[in-house]
Amino acid sequence: YEDLHTFELQAPTRVIEWARGNRVCVAGYGQSGGNEILQLLPPPTLQAKETQGLCPERDFKVECGGFSNRPVYSLKYVPDTSLLVTSGPPDSSLQVWQVSAEDSDVIKSVSAIPAEDGTGQPWARIATVSTRAPWVLHGSRLNNVQITEVESRKNVYMAASRNSEELSGLAFLDCNTLLLCCAKGQLCLADIRQPQRPLEAVSVPSAPCGERWCMGVGRGPQGSDSSSRPVACLSSGGHLTLTDIRKTSESMASAKCRVPSPSSGAEFLCISWAPALEGCLAISGFDGTVHVYDARSWDSSDREAEPIFVHKGHAFGRLGSSGSPPLVTTHAWHPQKPRTVLSAASDGSLHVWDWVQSCGKC
Amino acid sequence: LSFFCLGPGAGQDVGRSCILVSIAGKNVMLDCGMHMGYNDDRRFPDFSYITQNGRLTDFLDCVIISHFHLDHCGALPYFSEMVGYDGPIYMTHPTKAICPILLEDYRKITVDKKGETNFFTSQMIKDCMKKVVAVHLHQTVQVDEELEIKAYYAGHVLGAAMFQIKVGCESVVYTGDYNMTPDRHLGAAWIDKCRPDLLISESTYATTIRDSKRCRERDFLKKVHETVERGGKVLIPVFALGRAQELCILLETFWERMNLKAPIYFSTGLTEKANHYYKLFITWTNQKIRKTFVQRNMFEFKHIKAFDRAFADNPGPMVVFATPGMLHAGQSLQIFRKWAGNEKNMVIMPGYCVQGTVGHKILSGQRKLEMEGRQILEVKMQVEYMSFSAHADAKGIMQLIRQAEPRNVLLVHGEAKKMEFLKQKIEQEFHVSCYMPANGETTTIFTNPSIPVDISLGLLKRETAIGLLPDVKKPKLMHGTLIMKDNSFRLVSPEQALKELGLAEHQLRFTCRVHIQDPRKEHETVLRVYNHLKGVLKDYSVQHLPDGSITVESILIQATAHSEDQGTKVLLVSWTYQDEELGSYLTALLKKGLPQSTS
Repeated sequence: YEDLHTFELQAPTRVIEWARGNRVCVAGYGQSGGNEILQLLPPPTLQAKETQGLCPERDFKVECGGFSNRPVYSLKYVPDTSLLVTSGPPDSSLQVWQVSAEDSDVIKSVSAIPAEDGTGQPWARIATVSTRAPWVLHGSRLNNVQITEVESRKNVYMAASRNSEELSGLAFLDCNTLLLCCAKGQLCLADIRQPQRPLEAVSVPSAPCGERWCMGVGRGPQGSDSSSRPVACLSSGGHLTLTDIRKTSESMASAKCRVPSPSSGAEFLCISWAPALEGCLAISGFDGTVHVYDARSWDSSDREAEPIFVHKGHAFGRLGSSGSPPLVTTHAWHPQKPRTVLSAASDGSLHVWDWVQSCGKC
Repeated sequence: LSFFCLGPGAGQDVGRSCILVSIAGKNVMLDCGMHMGYNDDRRFPDFSYITQNGRLTDFLDCVIISHFHLDHCGALPYFSEMVGYDGPIYMTHPTKAICPILLEDYRKITVDKKGETNFFTSQMIKDCMKKVVAVHLHQTVQVDEELEIKAYYAGHVLGAAMFQIKVGCESVVYTGDYNMTPDRHLGAAWIDKCRPDLLISESTYATTIRDSKRCRERDFLKKVHETVERGGKVLIPVFALGRAQELCILLETFWERMNLKAPIYFSTGLTEKANHYYKLFITWTNQKIRKTFVQRNMFEFKHIKAFDRAFADNPGPMVVFATPGMLHAGQSLQIFRKWAGNEKNMVIMPGYCVQGTVGHKILSGQRKLEMEGRQILEVKMQVEYMSFSAHADAKGIMQLIRQAEPRNVLLVHGEAKKMEFLKQKIEQEFHVSCYMPANGETTTIFTNPSIPVDISLGLLKRETAIGLLPDVKKPKLMHGTLIMKDNSFRLVSPEQALKELGLAEHQLRFTCRVHIQDPRKEHETVLRVYNHLKGVLKDYSVQHLPDGSITVESILIQATAHSEDQGTKVLLVSWTYQDEELGSYLTALLKKGLPQSTS
């Protein structure tokens, strides 16, 4: 490690979201209510570009907090507003919150975007984009993918699909193009300027069925258009595929990672591209580790890939109530520092780590 | 109950502690700290806030000091000798032993080195300590007939305590500085379920999520190791007692494990004193130290030796712990001046540095310092900061509240605007009120005192005999007569009260008439009423007597024909005052009419 900080949250989180001003937001997912949404101010060590070892302040400060009765499974800030949106069981509705750190340190619940399909539906995945009016893209199945204007709660777009395939993720590729990832692995593209056109899968996984998939969309080279953003998909069986949106008929590259079969299903599977480190991505959710891979060396032979770094810190945490070791619930890259990653686990731990650059490579 | 925090004026928060609590007519001062950042009168609290004209000794019932840090006891000699207070001062044994040493050290530096005049003298420190009564942990100390105090272990530093102040059934717990996680040489704070009316807790770290100690230590050791490996010298300015011991144990273990040879030194004089006190107060250290103490003294270090001024000029790597902690004078400053010019060397500040000190200046980034005689010192050595102070964070505060179960919580040393979330969290989780007053603001808390009452044996026996079995978890309602005579309260049965007072008992009986439409004969109506009531009141004793009346428990119902209208029957329902509830219920029930079915 170049650097390692370990923190303990009062309750475990399965979201880590970066906000304006390098704030980090985490939230609890307990089923019995009393969950806290915390906006944290990271210590100065994480603000500066260069890593300092000893520093006056090494602690996170709770800048503001709110209380949620529901478990928070997903959280996204709405860019250019002081709002954030959360979702979680027991339905696919969204909760809207106001963060006003200057006046008080309480995150207030302001409204909700209801779910039309009633309770019992899977929780909604959320995505926001910073080039538009305060919109939020959300949905739990292909047939309820929609964009809602957060403040007015007006529906702006509804995807044309009767398919009730469950979603595992969605993202704005640019302000007009959406990419949806189904739990079974299909990727669908949609253009919000053409809401009538039915959604169609542009990519179907070749790996065996029965696995659950999730996706991560990278930033792509500076100033390029949406189609050159790299898309990576991860399956619960450890398959990794890279897809080129332009040539979706063939997968660009694929690899297999050596991971144990996830014990709790694919609930916490997470894959993300490094924003400041070309070609690198991280995966987690199989156990108490986070793997970092350099995907530039991958080809289509589906070989087993070697991670360039494995963070094992969470595996040594507190055992769960059933005696099971902690599971990494989510991870997030630092937006500026190339090799800094934040990861959280089911025992409430929050780690910030940075690995030593091996000579030459990334 | 009222709370008041003394400060020099608005806008001042951290720096010193001095709190005034008024409980059931008693006035207690909690801590008497000095602010190290000021060199004038602002360093002491403004005691004129307490009482404008009265003598402090008459006004205050006692003074309690939580631990030996100067921001909690630094103004004590000034307060007792220069302002004037002759009442008792309470603190734990280690605090009583160590306080005068720190006060004297600070006095020496302030007066001798800086030439201050309006400061307490050595004799004043001695006179002040004569007024101190030392207490043991968990020992109930009677300050007077009504006021008692008890100390609880607080962790944080050697001898630090949380105090419970009790007058009758009202109590306050003041935490001072405390720590809920044990460290290498001290245990964690602990309190029993004492359910105080108010818990006063420090909240300096309430909004932080602290980096784990292991990471902190890892980085600290890494820096020390790197410096020593390249031949540099590491200076760690420390206060005599406190974190220094923690760091010594840490380095000793590390040196042992890594088999390092570079010497580690600890300032002369202070080594013996510190070790002496830790040995003397071994019960105040943590479990591990006490256990290993039998085999070897954890404070007798193999790799750490006493320092001699001349060693500072020795070539080669070394680590030195020197006092005082903020590099404001004395040995640590001397060593700093010698080593500052070499970039291979490093100084690690292990704690907060007050503004104005050299420590604070170099931590703020200053690299050219003006020393006495207008000499400029260029600082090329590496400057690092590592905070090892042991304070409770939000999680720790919640833990303590859970342990003590107070009815109200008050947080000091936080920034009120930024603590709304914590306030809501405490209020939601524990259903208690949470206060966060500013300096100079009085907070009043209303308590519900419980008044003990003697209950007569006869009444107790009677109440337990009737009704359902007592359930220990449910409150049971009982009837009795409260006699308040002189200062005693007694609960007796009404009969006994009447007897004692020589009064005759009167029976109250109510009778109500209910009109019912029923053309049949009276005895048929009675039968209908009887069957109806028997069906509805299954748990009660409903009887049809031979004389034509119905009884429900002790309530009597009789039916007669209406004098003017044969189609209407009049039911007379009669009950005593004791059966008021059932009587009202029966009347309402009968007024609804009888069911249509033929009897």
